[in-house]
Amino acid sequence: MPEASLLTDEVRALVGLETPMGRVQVTPKAFRRALEVYTGRIPRTAPAAGEPVPGYVLAALDSESDTPAMPSLLPNSLLISNEWQFERPLRMGEELESVYSVVAITERFGGRFGYSIDFRAEVTFKDADGNPVARSGRTMTQYSAAEARDEGDA
Amino acid sequence: MNLDPAAVKEGDELPVLHLQPDLGQVIRYCALQWAFPAFFYDAEAAKAQGMPGTLVPGPLKVGLIYRAVDEWLGDAGWVCQVRAAHRRPDLTNRPIDVVGRVARVYDENGSRRADLELAIINEQGEPSVRGFAVVEFARPV
Repeated sequence: MPEASLLTDEVRALVGLETPMGRVQVTPKAFRRALEVYTGRIPRTAPAAGEPVPGYVLAALDSESDTPAMPSLLPNSLLISNEWQFERPLRMGEELESVYSVVAITERFGGRFGYSIDFRAEVTFKDADGNPVARSGRTMTQYSAAEARDEGDA
Repeated sequence: MNLDPAAVKEGDELPVLHLQPDLGQVIRYCALQWAFPAFFYDAEAAKAQGMPGTLVPGPLKVGLIYRAVDEWLGDAGWVCQVRAAHRRPDLTNRPIDVVGRVARVYDENGSRRADLELAIINEQGEPSVRGFAVVEFARPV
């Protein structure tokens, strides 16, 4: 365990910073590919422009841009959660602005990973009026494997 | 069978979704994300990192939970939120079940909603993912 917190002012300052990731579009190709990945079905048709599409499509939009890398504070990292949120269903053909942000950085002492730091980040997809339509979030934990212990279900 | 939103109540169980994600599905997911960590598709690379074999990516599993909810819901509503807390890795080509139950039914901003508790259960009967979802019973507009 480090002698002092690794959450320096520089690291804490990342929270809330927004990084524009560019414009994405809900396309028939994104719909078809996402549906095939998650359901194994290959749809013969796609919803018409303006029609709702399944939330899976978010995974296709999420990959349009590379998100900024988190600072590496501890030697090991692990994905601990994913989340999709929708203010309304996505619609075929709509264009959205994607914005990356770090939502929270927290440290934990003890437990399965010993001293660990959780980074929660999300990409928000906004409509033309700047209203959030959907969010794709993930939480990574950084830890030192040398201090971790296997406790089964976390 | 169409879901009747008026009949949904706390404790209702979702149909179990039996799945067996294979390497092909994982590779298609990697292509969708345009991200190709070798331990997802190369067994030797996975073993070199201390894993017993190629893994089902965590972000793929949040979509599988979404699928279980979406298929249960059908045309009766839409999924507002889905969350997956990863507890254990799942290996490719191993059976998993997505299970769920209705935890709460309530009204919010004039809409009828339900909170769902979900899990992915591996072949040992252990939860590899704890999930949560919120659905709204209304046709999307």
